[in-house]
Amino acid sequence: MATTVDARGLSCPQPVILTLEAIRSGKDKEIIVLVDTDTSKENVTRAAASKGYRVHDVSPEGEGYRISITRG
Amino acid sequence: MKGLFGRKGSGRRKKEGAASADRGILVFENTSEVIQAERVLKKAGRSVRVMGPPPEIRSGCDLVIEFPLIEELDIVRELRGAAIPPLAVVPVTAPLLAPVDLFHTKDFGDYWMVRAANMKITVAKEDLTIVNVSGGGCPDVPFLAQQMVGKTLTDAPRPRDLGHTLCGYALDLAYEEMLRK
Repeated sequence: MATTVDARGLSCPQPVILTLEAIRSGKDKEIIVLVDTDTSKENVTRAAASKGYRVHDVSPEGEGYRISITRG
Repeated sequence: MKGLFGRKGSGRRKKEGAASADRGILVFENTSEVIQAERVLKKAGRSVRVMGPPPEIRSGCDLVIEFPLIEELDIVRELRGAAIPPLAVVPVTAPLLAPVDLFHTKDFGDYWMVRAANMKITVAKEDLTIVNVSGGGCPDVPFLAQQMVGKTLTDAPRPRDLGHTLCGYALDLAYEEMLRK
């Protein structure tokens, strides 16, 4: 099971903040983050890496991206 | 920017634009000169502050320097000596001539965000870790973010030491404002 964060339509730093809140909750090992800009994609992956999360996959989805990050 | 002083204001009044008879603003040809002038004046121990231009003379995203009017002669002499004389020196005698604050702060619950001009920095309140750096559109922004995100405000390198563009400068202003908080 993965936690999904839908950050589409949000401007910086909100996608990062929502991702960090999901990381902090520690509910699931995998977190899926949906974003719709390149800037958000870069900011989210950078923030996740800084928290020790591994960027498992980044794939285009609709008009944006689907980012999968996993703990450890 | 010099030619705009004769322009009539719209009559709108910004809350932060209170007039102050003992302050003045220095207007320069371009942002690069503002940055140089700030460096020269701060090095000389002057109490100056980079701000947004007052509504009456605004043209785009320019910057001005606010200074104590009583030091006008010394300051202008120092700037002439550094080959960056201001285009104009304007006493802040009316609300529409008051410079506006460059900073906008937003509280996101567990996080503070400070925006200075076109750059934003976001910090976790809990441990003062920088969680996001964004904005600008300059080529060095990803590098600045890479160097700063994940570090605390005190451990992170100063943007002014890393950056090579106006974005780096604006980010440094945001960083300083965050430190003041």
